[in-house]
Amino acid sequence: MSFDTTVDSATTTTTTEPTTPTPTSPHISWSDSFSEAQTAIKTLSTILPSIPPSLTSSDNPSSALLHDAETSAEISRLLRHPDSGAGGDHLCRWLYDTFQSAKPDLQLVVLRFLPLIAGLYLSRVPLRKPLAGFEAVLLAIYAHETVSRNGQAVTVTIPDLSHSSIYHETKLNTKNNATELNLTVISASLEPHGTVRSTRRARIVGVALELYYSKISQMPSESKIDFCEFCTLWAGQDGDAYKNGPDDEVVETGEAKENCEGENVGAKEGRIPLPWELLQPVLRILGHCLMGYKKNNELYEAACGACRSLYARSLHDINPKAILATRSLLRLVKMEANSEDKVDHTEIVMSNVINL
Amino acid sequence: MSGNISAEWGQLENDLAAAVAGREVYANGLCINTNIVEAKLDEGNIEEAESALRDGLSLNFEEARALLGRLEYQRGNVEAALRVFDGIDLQAAILRMQPSLAEKPPSKKGRSRTESLHAVSQHAASLVLEAIYLKARSLQKLGKVTEAAHECKSVLDAVEKIFYHGIPDVLVDYKLQDTVSRAVELLPELWKQAGCYPEAMSAYRRALLSQWNLDNDCCARIQKGFAVFLLYSGVEVSPPSLAVQIDGSYVPRNNLEEAILLFMILMRKFYLGKTQWDPSVIEHLTFALSLCSQTSVLAKQLEEVMPGFFQRVERWKSLALGYSGAGQEITALVLLRKSLHKHEKPDDLMSLLLAAKICSEDSLLAAEGVGYAQRAIINAQGVHKHLKGVGLRMLGLCLGKQAKVSSSDFERSRLQSEALKSLDAAVALEHDNSDLIFDLGVQYAEHRNLNAALRYARRYIDTTGGSVLKGWRLLALVLSAQQRYSEAQVVTDAALDETAKWEQGPLLRMKAKLKTSQSLHTEAIETYRYLLALVQAQRKSYGPLRSTPLTEDDKVNEYEVWHGLANLYSSLSHWNDAEICLGKARALIEYSAETLHRRGQVSEALAAYVNALLLEPSYVPCKILIGAVLSKMGSKMLPVARTLLSDALRIEPTNRMAWYHLALVHRDDGRIADAADCFQAASMLEESDPIESFSSII
Repeated sequence: MSFDTTVDSATTTTTTEPTTPTPTSPHISWSDSFSEAQTAIKTLSTILPSIPPSLTSSDNPSSALLHDAETSAEISRLLRHPDSGAGGDHLCRWLYDTFQSAKPDLQLVVLRFLPLIAGLYLSRVPLRKPLAGFEAVLLAIYAHETVSRNGQAVTVTIPDLSHSSIYHETKLNTKNNATELNLTVISASLEPHGTVRSTRRARIVGVALELYYSKISQMPSESKIDFCEFCTLWAGQDGDAYKNGPDDEVVETGEAKENCEGENVGAKEGRIPLPWELLQPVLRILGHCLMGYKKNNELYEAACGACRSLYARSLHDINPKAILATRSLLRLVKMEANSEDKVDHTEIVMSNVINL
Repeated sequence: MSGNISAEWGQLENDLAAAVAGREVYANGLCINTNIVEAKLDEGNIEEAESALRDGLSLNFEEARALLGRLEYQRGNVEAALRVFDGIDLQAAILRMQPSLAEKPPSKKGRSRTESLHAVSQHAASLVLEAIYLKARSLQKLGKVTEAAHECKSVLDAVEKIFYHGIPDVLVDYKLQDTVSRAVELLPELWKQAGCYPEAMSAYRRALLSQWNLDNDCCARIQKGFAVFLLYSGVEVSPPSLAVQIDGSYVPRNNLEEAILLFMILMRKFYLGKTQWDPSVIEHLTFALSLCSQTSVLAKQLEEVMPGFFQRVERWKSLALGYSGAGQEITALVLLRKSLHKHEKPDDLMSLLLAAKICSEDSLLAAEGVGYAQRAIINAQGVHKHLKGVGLRMLGLCLGKQAKVSSSDFERSRLQSEALKSLDAAVALEHDNSDLIFDLGVQYAEHRNLNAALRYARRYIDTTGGSVLKGWRLLALVLSAQQRYSEAQVVTDAALDETAKWEQGPLLRMKAKLKTSQSLHTEAIETYRYLLALVQAQRKSYGPLRSTPLTEDDKVNEYEVWHGLANLYSSLSHWNDAEICLGKARALIEYSAETLHRRGQVSEALAAYVNALLLEPSYVPCKILIGAVLSKMGSKMLPVARTLLSDALRIEPTNRMAWYHLALVHRDDGRIADAADCFQAASMLEESDPIESFSSII
């Protein structure tokens, strides 16, 4: 809750001049993070070759840092460096410290790079490279989530229409004890972890992605595009066969046939194990990228590609839950593409005869 | 007929005339053409246009302005429309309307008077509200969505003030109802466009929880819009307040629950015929329920869909996926058999693969699975060629499973080598598929090709980065089968380091057995004690929410631990301790074959073994032990013992104890050559015997 207020105050201050905070206003947390963010930017300037002056002079440095394309590109470039992520990596150190500042708007900046960190980390694990830097950031995020959830599991009670609900039309108070509501765990309880044990790796990354998902509406689309690209990589499958949706009875074109010759059809490098604890948050994020409110074409294309690859992968794993989820997303994408010019039900009837 | 046509003609002529002559406005029984008014508007002369309307139609100021605004809006001049609307104090108009309407309590006496008053005021209200609504729309079209949202909201606020008992079903002006419905539908959209998600959320709830007298389609559209927003927006806002809760009714606690509830309600509206079928709803619901791993609920939803919406094979397939996802594999298989029937879709690749996978998990179904897998391989062509490796893998798994129940040695070795061939072919296509690498490791291990098994076990750990427990266990078991106990010990310890305490059970059990094999009895007992503490702690803290991270095979049951300890003590001849352990085990599961078998002392042994065998006819250790006991009862019993031991070997051909006792029987019967063969088999197997059966990790 406190998170929302600080973010709101941060966005409002971009339009108005920063005022001196009164003790009761939520600006306090903002001005607090103001100095912290400036320190963070100062430290960052020792790591990056250059920092745009708009950042240092910004009224709202956290938000500027989150949305500055140039700086983000520079950080991404450093993160993608083949030797990044080791224990002595300054950038990882910076990301870790920034996240540990416990200022929500600065934590957003770190989360913005989570797709890259998680993606690079999981892809590099089989290479047996030192990755303590990435692990430190991931563990910090995991620990944050463990504390804020108090270690509790996240559960969902599946509704049953035989129980009356707030959206039932007939508000009959039907006492129904015959059927028990279905309680299901969507994210299991969390234990604290000081190191990344390899069998808990997927879980730790999965929980970090859950936190990312909860802030996803504030993430810039480049971050989400990074995420979609890693999904395609992780799937290790080419989803091109499903360009026309998951159910298309395939029309054999000569070109398609040619492409499919050769032994290693569709398999690509970068495949990693995708247990449900990792796949589930991945699918939630992907769902947002595809069906979320704000459409960005590049992101949409990337998400479609990721979804196709993951569908192909779930067929390879014969994983029914994953098949159902990805197939539904692909069908929805197809339905959306096919429904042209929808009727706008909120437009008034335009007629030449106006009756008053 | 002719009347209809002429009416249509008349309509068409009217439209044409309007198009030529411009628009017409009817009010107070008067009618004017808007050409003059529009001309004045084009000149920018709002006042004159207004007075032309007032004179021509005898309207008051607000009515005339509202009309002008609408005219401009309809002409596409949204900025001009805004200017006109800005000229009216709409809030004042609403205030004027309120008392005249709201304060009247409905009394029987003055009914006719109130009704007419209602009609007049509703008319006025309709005009004013439409004006505000159009103002909101104009602002929206100009990109000022936040302002638009505020205007739109004021429409709804006004309606609530004017009709504070809710909008009456009857007696309501249809134009007024139209405006209200549109405003209700538009408001959340505007908030979303403005990026004000919490406001959008409460606008949706207001739309659905207050009485707006919306028609079914409009309500369904809002419900769907809201559910989609809840499911995908990633904005978690507070759940509906408890104020709306009716005693005992279900109130969703988070976005996911609310979205699922709304989609379910929409599904029900479809089959009650209240609204038109919208195929996207079931897909959204599928996505949501799959995320929650509640695919059995999904299957129930699919079963409720009336025939005609889905093609039947499509429905069976989705149902099968749903049931299989929920672990109800046999139900899924029954459905798949239907959809793979030769008159349905016998070549559907996904169904074939899923059916083969389900069959590969049950040795009695494995032969059926082989057929599905072969059909899948044939059909993996064109763009689906990438699934050929999956088909081969399933074929290999089914063959391997089938080998376990084969009746002859010849058949078994044929099936096993075919299984390996098939898996090898699969791995050539999918060299990165870690599951496949694991399958190969297990197949080779069961085939006692330990070097190959070791290679795959190592590769599995490499490709998964050691992230899967069963990989570590396979490696340790293969090493133990090679009698490399200390290396197995190192692997187990490394695995323990990589595993959270809670999931260490199977590793600790292995460690204890490794210690036992190395005759480190005290350390073994220590490890068992530790394991016992863990298992008991787990049992106590198993709430309903705890159980998810551990799948069934990752759990060690306490009963097994007592047994391991009993074994250990009995090998140390600590009979009392062994007896205590068995007592504990027996307290957990009465009449288990294993307990009876362990308790068997020489005098009661046979009876206990027979009892155990009656409980579980294919329990191999008992067969062997009965055989062993019988073989010591004199030469008359030797044939019986031999039958039992051969039977045990049919079930478990790699059981070295069975070979050993069979060798003893042959020797006592004087068949020295056979005895030598069996002794040799037993000793060869001893050299490749893992501390736990390989099948325990699958």
